[in-house]
Amino acid sequence: MRTSAVSGIIFANSNDNLLKKLTAIRSMASVPFGSRYRLIDFSLSNLVNAGVYNVGIITKENYHSLMDHVGSGLFWDLDRKNGGLHLLPPYISSGLKRYSGTIDALYGAKDFIKRCKSDYIVLCAGDILANVDISDVIDCHIKKGADVTTVYHKGILPPNRDDAMIFDLEDDGRIASIKFNCDIGTEAYYGIGITVISRDLLSNLVYEAYHDDLPSFNRNVLAVKLKELKIYGYEHSEFVSLMNGTDTYYKANMALLNSEVRKQLFNKERPIYTKTRDDMPTRYGTKSSVSNSIIGSGCVIEGTVINSIIFRGVKVEKGAVIKDCILMQETCVGANSELSNVIADKNSIIGKNKSLSGTEQKQIFISKNQIV
Amino acid sequence: MKSKKCVAMLLAGGQGSRLGVLTSKIAKPAVPYGGKYRIIDFPLSNCTNSGIDTVGILTQYKPLELNDYIGSGKPWDLDRSNGGVHILPPYQGQEGGDWYKGTANAIYQNLEFIERYNPEYVLILSGDHIYKMDYSKMLNQHIEDNAACTIAVLEVSFEEATRFGIMNTTEDGTIYEFEEKPANPKSNLASMGIYIFNWDKLKKYLIDDEANPDSSNDFGKNIIPMMLNAGEKLKVYRFSDYWKDVGTVESLWDANLDLLNPKIDLNLSDKNWRIYSRNTAMPPQYISEKAKVENSLVTDGCEIYGNLDYSVLFENVTIEEGATVEYSLIMPGAVIKKGANVRYSIIAENAVIDEDAQIGGDPAVVGTEGWGITVVGANLTVGKKAKVSANKMIVKNVDEGEEI
Repeated sequence: MRTSAVSGIIFANSNDNLLKKLTAIRSMASVPFGSRYRLIDFSLSNLVNAGVYNVGIITKENYHSLMDHVGSGLFWDLDRKNGGLHLLPPYISSGLKRYSGTIDALYGAKDFIKRCKSDYIVLCAGDILANVDISDVIDCHIKKGADVTTVYHKGILPPNRDDAMIFDLEDDGRIASIKFNCDIGTEAYYGIGITVISRDLLSNLVYEAYHDDLPSFNRNVLAVKLKELKIYGYEHSEFVSLMNGTDTYYKANMALLNSEVRKQLFNKERPIYTKTRDDMPTRYGTKSSVSNSIIGSGCVIEGTVINSIIFRGVKVEKGAVIKDCILMQETCVGANSELSNVIADKNSIIGKNKSLSGTEQKQIFISKNQIV
Repeated sequence: MKSKKCVAMLLAGGQGSRLGVLTSKIAKPAVPYGGKYRIIDFPLSNCTNSGIDTVGILTQYKPLELNDYIGSGKPWDLDRSNGGVHILPPYQGQEGGDWYKGTANAIYQNLEFIERYNPEYVLILSGDHIYKMDYSKMLNQHIEDNAACTIAVLEVSFEEATRFGIMNTTEDGTIYEFEEKPANPKSNLASMGIYIFNWDKLKKYLIDDEANPDSSNDFGKNIIPMMLNAGEKLKVYRFSDYWKDVGTVESLWDANLDLLNPKIDLNLSDKNWRIYSRNTAMPPQYISEKAKVENSLVTDGCEIYGNLDYSVLFENVTIEEGATVEYSLIMPGAVIKKGANVRYSIIAENAVIDEDAQIGGDPAVVGTEGWGITVVGANLTVGKKAKVSANKMIVKNVDEGEEI
């Protein structure tokens, strides 16, 4: 397939409202994850690992940190002359309103879709945490002669995901029905937010829906046109997490402590790329004690760390004890402080001899730049 | 081409034969250091931090990995439209061509490259040392002194002086004599292999040196003595921070463990003088419940289930359960399997130390007589329960149960 045959579109602000604390200062796609990543790294890497080197990122608001992170696309090999990375912020002529749904967002990106000249477009939500073989999804899409192929996972859909589709499947993988809004609490086939569609069909569907004032591509287009269009499902059976609140965010991070999950997310054939930093490797001190933890680079660990996710450049001083915590970039924990079930956002400082403990159900959240 | 005030020429063609199996496939400047760096990151980062944006890199010995690593120079911010890094291998001209015969000849063969930038000064560097140095300070002194050449020197002990090129100077730092490895040193100012020349002078002496068939075309042996004889003004530039030649297995090991010594000032992520390197896409490191990690540097992609003390782990290293690694360097991709024991050793890239194997010896146990660091070469396997004693250089696979 020629390099320009497929383009990708990522919705950077998908479900921002579900992670309010973390998205107060950033878009969903730039929420930090797993010691060194931002959520968007997974979608960007999934795309480039499938040879998709023309990617548009639809942004709505709070996209400063996202722009800072993706830059020219260099770290994903997306600083290309042909294709590359395109940030698609809202623009005035699209009607003075910010995107209210996926149809608005895609309509706002119509020039990108028109100009990319690709045969296919891969739509990705900005909060997908999965390593998906998109090139296989595209192959299946072509082989089956599908109009639309969307990736699903068999499992229990987290609650509050109004946008997520739950499918019934026919034997050949064709989707027989699409339901929304069902917190069923039992195992189901649910869409994880990756959809392949031909460019022409996408343009037509979006144009039509926009003029009919319909908000959602999934709800108002795919679910409605289920009989007209051949919509197929593609199963991704490996680890998936969709964000639906601080609780799932916390659990998704902690899932990395499971070696099977790490193997599935950090597949050697399909690496996850991120913006790298010029830090030293992490230094462990004389009295350090670390157990069952994921640690980014550039940290200085002189205290105790247990069952935690430690991001790049974190400092844990002597005598400090960190348990069941997520400490984001550059967090400093002073000597003899004890933290358990804490999520500390970037650059927060916890002084000496402090004690903070949340619970497994409700973590204490320390916001960016906060000093405790 | 826009003129440059100063162009750096980095001599990176050396084999580094004293590093043995560590440089059997790669040039010395490409040897891994400090968990995520390569030796060449130091001169390149020093250049970019000193405001020198034009660097010619002279390669000759096993250049593939080094060339790959340098690429466009992007990691060091040296991918420039005007200037930047240039890899300069020996080449063929109309009248044939030649390998680089010596350090001076390597520069001579690239006169044309330097001429394109029409610089006032040329900085000569080597790719063998670990240090952070602001070359712009040295250049300023060179200009103030109105010297023809300035040589960076380090004060060493008089004992050590017998292993270095020594500068004998008058009180104001003017060099009157250069002695290579003197038996009875008159001074303890050792050359660091860093020179700044006025380009017009250097060019003249390079051409004269090339015309002499008996010359070994070397800066220390030929160019500097020739300039001294001609009465040129040569000055020393004193440097007193951390500097280490990593030309031997022991010194490479030492320089790595220096990063763990709180008394040694070698912070590589100092925001004012960062050492840059090419970063790869590795997941973060994982330290398991069973692991015990102290006094060590650990890099992205490592998975640690065993015990680690006083060691430097490079990218993507696995230490399995019950394995012990002490006072060692484990280079990228190496695997230390269950129950294996690695002490005072350097395990090169992608080597596998199989279950219950024992590598290296503790000088406190085996005695200092004949003791040394054990090195296991890249991509080799040391079989189960094999024993490799101290001071061994392993260049081929070691069988199960074998004792060396």
